Amino acid sequence: MTGSLVFLPLFIKATGTTIWLSWLALLIGAVGGFLIALLRTSRLWPLRVIALLYTEAFRSVPILIVLFFAYFGVPVMLGFDVSPFVAATFALALHASANMSEVVRAGIESVGRGQWEAALASGMRMREVMRHIVAPQALRVILPPSVGVYITVLKESSLASIIGYFELTRTGLLVRETQGGGFGPLLALAAIYFLLSYGISLCGAALERHYAIGGATTSTDAVVGGMA
Amino acid sequence: MNYTFTLRTVFPYLGGLVAAAEMTLTLSVLAILISLVIGAAVAVMRRSRLRVVRFAGAAYVEVMRNTPLLVTLYIVYFAAPAIGIRLSSFTAALLGLSLNAAGYMAEIIRAGLIAVPGGQFEAATAQGMTMGQMFRHIIFPQVFRTIYAPLGNQFIAVILASSLASAVAVEEVTSWMETVGANSFRFFETFVVAAVVYVVLCQTINLARLQIGRMLFRQPEARR
Repeated sequence: MTGSLVFLPLFIKATGTTIWLSWLALLIGAVGGFLIALLRTSRLWPLRVIALLYTEAFRSVPILIVLFFAYFGVPVMLGFDVSPFVAATFALALHASANMSEVVRAGIESVGRGQWEAALASGMRMREVMRHIVAPQALRVILPPSVGVYITVLKESSLASIIGYFELTRTGLLVRETQGGGFGPLLALAAIYFLLSYGISLCGAALERHYAIGGATTSTDAVVGGMA
Repeated sequence: MNYTFTLRTVFPYLGGLVAAAEMTLTLSVLAILISLVIGAAVAVMRRSRLRVVRFAGAAYVEVMRNTPLLVTLYIVYFAAPAIGIRLSSFTAALLGLSLNAAGYMAEIIRAGLIAVPGGQFEAATAQGMTMGQMFRHIIFPQVFRTIYAPLGNQFIAVILASSLASAVAVEEVTSWMETVGANSFRFFETFVVAAVVYVVLCQTINLARLQIGRMLFRQPEARR
């Protein structure tokens, strides 16, 4: 590993790419997940069914086949080129939105019925109730597990290497090839991912303690998004 | 856009799909079984009286849960030959998948063990039970009840994760989709078919879990 310090800038740049890709996917996924969660808690049952099918579908299909479809399938079908970056962001965001919607739904449902009734009874409109009463209370339930969703996205972003996007994993494989094989670069990869992900999960645990209501703990350990 | 959806184009490849689905299922079932064994060992390690052993158990769990499965697979697949072990794609994928899943499994089993009140261990020992008897008759039934639901979720997670085995050249459903798509240029059809296979596998396990759970515990449990 001593001679491979030359590759350090490459690894740092690739780590940046991985963080950028996963953050972008998380942001899009969070917006999407929020909308799906609103549908999921809607009063109209067809909307609820659509949202349920969406989340169940994306939680029963591996993200890798969505990625392949976005990258190889969409250009053939629609006739325009999809860059590995766009395909990866799209697939990661779709999966993240399904996971996020479950987290947001749990947050919305954690706000007691009485709160809704009281707010509506005091003459607030639905939107006002959402904004001033439900959102502030739901947010503290939503924040800790969304850290878990982010960690899943971060790890899943390694799949972008399979369609040839130069993020962290791809870079590690390339470095390994230029060095003629060996353990080093792959272990370096694992170490970087571990530091990123473990660091974030520690922040998540701190966030969870900060927002815990009356000593009640909500577990971020509940696997949001499965293994990746 | 002049792409017409015709499932007929995929028909010639359906034989391969059956073999691929069998591969996905074999890989997942074996990985679950192996990860159950490793996970149980790690969970017990985390309850050890020795600090070093506890730390080793915790470190294993954190490393596995905080590194991408793909990296674990590459390490097992590419690095094993470097220390003189040649693994076939299947063995490498199975090993990587099991090692990674064991990290999650250990946490599930640990939660199950924590849920058993300490008095149960003491009472069983006071009754003169041996370690084996205590685990078999007192601890295991209670642990099983707690871990049953998360175990089902884990099974589904492993099936989905087994798709990554295609990256180390195992011919399962995802690699079927990739090869057939590339050969026939029918990407949409192959995607739909592969997605349906995964949905059917996952939902079958989900429903079976609910049914068996109802029979075993006489109380319905909702998924997550």
